[in-house]
Amino acid sequence: MGASIVGLGMTELGRVYGRSPRRLAADAVRLAVADAGLALGDLDGLLVSHGMGGSPGIELAGALGLRDLRLLSQVNAFGATAGAMLSYAATAVLSGTATTVACVFADAPLKPKKSAGSAYNRDAREWYGFGGMTAALGLRSVNSFYALAAQRHMTRYGTTSEQLGAIAVSTRAWASRNPLAQMRDPITLEDHQASRWVSEPLHLLDCCLVSNGAIAVVVTGADRARDLARPPVHLWGWGQGHPGHRKERGSEYGLTTGAASSGATAMKMAGITTDDVTACELYDCYTYTVLVSLEDYGFCAKGEGGAFAASGALGPGGSLPTNTGGGQLSAYYMWGMTPVSEAVIQARGDGGERQVPANDVILVSGNGGILDHHSTLIVSPHEKGA
Amino acid sequence: MDIGVLRRDGRTDPFFDGTAAGRLVVRRCEACDRWFAPDETGCPGCGADDLAWAEASGEATLVTWTVTRPRDSDQPPAYLALVELAEGPWLHTRLDGVDPVSLREGLPLRAAFVHPDEGESYVLFRH
Repeated sequence: MGASIVGLGMTELGRVYGRSPRRLAADAVRLAVADAGLALGDLDGLLVSHGMGGSPGIELAGALGLRDLRLLSQVNAFGATAGAMLSYAATAVLSGTATTVACVFADAPLKPKKSAGSAYNRDAREWYGFGGMTAALGLRSVNSFYALAAQRHMTRYGTTSEQLGAIAVSTRAWASRNPLAQMRDPITLEDHQASRWVSEPLHLLDCCLVSNGAIAVVVTGADRARDLARPPVHLWGWGQGHPGHRKERGSEYGLTTGAASSGATAMKMAGITTDDVTACELYDCYTYTVLVSLEDYGFCAKGEGGAFAASGALGPGGSLPTNTGGGQLSAYYMWGMTPVSEAVIQARGDGGERQVPANDVILVSGNGGILDHHSTLIVSPHEKGA
Repeated sequence: MDIGVLRRDGRTDPFFDGTAAGRLVVRRCEACDRWFAPDETGCPGCGADDLAWAEASGEATLVTWTVTRPRDSDQPPAYLALVELAEGPWLHTRLDGVDPVSLREGLPLRAAFVHPDEGESYVLFRH
């Protein structure tokens, strides 16, 4: 017996105002349950993702009127949370802890009339303690920490801004085929190079969007999944990787990530290798995280992620369709639920204009902190071993 | 980018006493003979949570860097960096007076102290 994703619920995503993260989360769970052809009362498990902008906790169960749950928890591995939640849901189903588990992420960092950039930035006239000192000196945004990591990769391996730009361009090409994407106008490498520096070496078009909204999925046993409303998406394997790179001499910070161990665990469980993967949905908070994840998963050798991206492999018509809905760079920033939701859409064959030619084995990643946490899922429209 | 005014928070007195005197004071586990960044709270080697304060040499090398340019402002760009102290720990910091084309992994750096009129003294790194 396996575990399967049977429901997908997505609220309006982007500049969506007037609904709290808790309300958005509740709406997404209702949509996911309805998508599966189930009723809320069929849920006996609920996992709620940590977020940044006042995201809900386990009180969400009460807000939904759920009763007699056998599994209820908030999960936090930052951007790796979605993959972790789905693996815990699958494990719960396989062990008999629960039969039908909803997993939800909701966030609302965008405020009306405020720029997207201001959602996560810090600014102050007075700064306190060590954290304050780091911010005071200029490291005030996650963008700068990822820029340090990307620059290290560039220095060590010769990775270029144009190679990162190839990822921005291929991701936007996919987004132009996704009616739900926030940014749908095609871009060129010249557009990428001309976009302003956010924190050098990262241009604006190397950085993800900021979005309000919520996405939920429902996980149940593969035997039950067959009888539900939509084609099941089977969970073949999962893994996590938390490398614990310390900031000290000898650190691999910026050079390798938890994708290496997380991917190996997930692919071993699924009984596959990278050669079997027909599409990737990777956590793209930055173009650079796509590049380094591809290397660490083994789709190309270490240091060759730039050349691989620039080869055209990732875009429409390429050999490894990647971030086929436009990812977080161009579609919507729902943390790990962005890649998870696109994997479900592709595995169901619901991709429309952007449907990949082969959806048999889809690799999904999550990345959290500053490359501190990683999760991987392997999903397929086919039952494992069938 | 304006640095603003730095204040103590109760955990930082030895560090800011050090910067005021032109000394870089960081954390150290005497039992393990291991040095740590000043914000480290414990030794992962032995579990000690009472790390000592110790003066570092101030010698460092460049690990990686990023350049931020304030939007809609004529302020100069800020060169932010991870540097590796000679003793081993990495610090997030800002580079001062560096030539952008000279930046490379391993560039030798030295701690430099700034004593503003208001707020605590702080440390930058110069080539």
